Amino acid sequence: MPAQCVASHKMSTTSQKHRDFVAEPMGDKPVTALSGIGEVLGKKLEEQGFDKAFAVLGQYLLLRKDGELFTEWLKDTSGANSRNAASCSQCLREWCDSFL
Amino acid sequence: MPEYLEDPSVLTKDKLKSELLANNVALPTGDQRKDVYVQLYLKNLTVQNKKIPSTDAFSSDEELPVPVVSNKSRSGRKATRKTDKPRPEDLDVTKLTSEGLKDELLKYGVNVGPIVATTRKLYERRLQKLLDHGPPETVTLPMVITQVDSNHNGNSNSDRYSDKEEEVTTVPEPEPVTVPVVERPVRSRGKTPVTTRTRSSQHNRVEKIAAGEQTPSRVDEKDVLKEMFPYETNTPTGINATCRRPIRGAAGRPLKSGDLWTDETLLRSTSNSSYSESRTATVHRVTTLPPSTRLVTSVTPPAGKAVAPPRGLPFWLKLLLLSVVAGFIFFVYQTMETNAMAPFGGSSDSTQTSDS
Repeated sequence: MPAQCVASHKMSTTSQKHRDFVAEPMGDKPVTALSGIGEVLGKKLEEQGFDKAFAVLGQYLLLRKDGELFTEWLKDTSGANSRNAASCSQCLREWCDSFL
Repeated sequence: MPEYLEDPSVLTKDKLKSELLANNVALPTGDQRKDVYVQLYLKNLTVQNKKIPSTDAFSSDEELPVPVVSNKSRSGRKATRKTDKPRPEDLDVTKLTSEGLKDELLKYGVNVGPIVATTRKLYERRLQKLLDHGPPETVTLPMVITQVDSNHNGNSNSDRYSDKEEEVTTVPEPEPVTVPVVERPVRSRGKTPVTTRTRSSQHNRVEKIAAGEQTPSRVDEKDVLKEMFPYETNTPTGINATCRRPIRGAAGRPLKSGDLWTDETLLRSTSNSSYSESRTATVHRVTTLPPSTRLVTSVTPPAGKAVAPPRGLPFWLKLLLLSVVAGFIFFVYQTMETNAMAPFGGSSDSTQTSDS
């Protein structure tokens, strides 16, 4: 289809990163593959020992998939802000819905 | 050490006299009453009785009463403290064992996972929050909301939401907002479960908020919303509607110079009489863009609007292009079919025309 359609029109509230992550099993993806986790946050998480996305998933599952607790934990561990933490939480939740 | 009698009156007068003499105590002249000797005895000898140990360990006297007193006071405190309260608010969450912590949280209806190193602090904090909000355990904090944005997976969580809705009776006002966007709707009072289902979109959330939220939660919510949507205007209902960009050239609306985009596409589509141009689809469109812009700019002042409209093509235009492409493909197919003898001839004609 024409290139014009590509424009900047956003279809949904999730980002491309989110969609990419939720579309397939995470395997060995790094923690920066998570939606809301960029380089800075990723580095902080790695310092805490969460170097892979599945490690963060592990923490999410430990908290029994409670989004609120998870966002709290993420903020504490990586210094993420509310938006990024919520984004990551939602990303993991949807991933779990599909693959867990 | 010599132990003197505490009660010398048990002794006879003579005995007392002899005792006193033995200890070099001056006796009063003459025969006194026994009491006198008793007093003498007490004064001189019994005092000595006490004195001796005190001189040896002088501090012990002082120490003895002190710890006794403090013990008493401590025990007094203990006696008054009621440890029988089912949930004392001065419960130190950090001193609880994992089991204890879990039990306490379960009393509040929290969905508690394993208390391990990484989760402990969180659960302690959660319990502390619950305790701070008062022992009435009817207050269930919005532990809710694992859903932040649109729920792509249908209403699988909606039941959970409605359950939580019913449980909320009082609203913990000073509660710090951790996941602000998420917590808001649950905290409001008198919400029907129906509204929770519409939470899937943020707009709906805004509407619900407007539908009679409490002021404090509304204020919090507004702050959070402002954080997320810094460019949205403040409306009384909280509903923000963005105008759809009017479709230029449709419904009798005249095309203006500002609609450069549509002008370009129209020009191109009008020149597309043989469907040839559309054949090359995207690639050629891009390449033909500069020439068209040059052509169009001579006609109208571009004002830097040579790019596609921010919202993308109008829908009708998309349909037009689609039909053009479909028609062209059909045409090519038809040509190829009829010209079975010279398949390349038929298709090459169309390609040649498209190249020009």
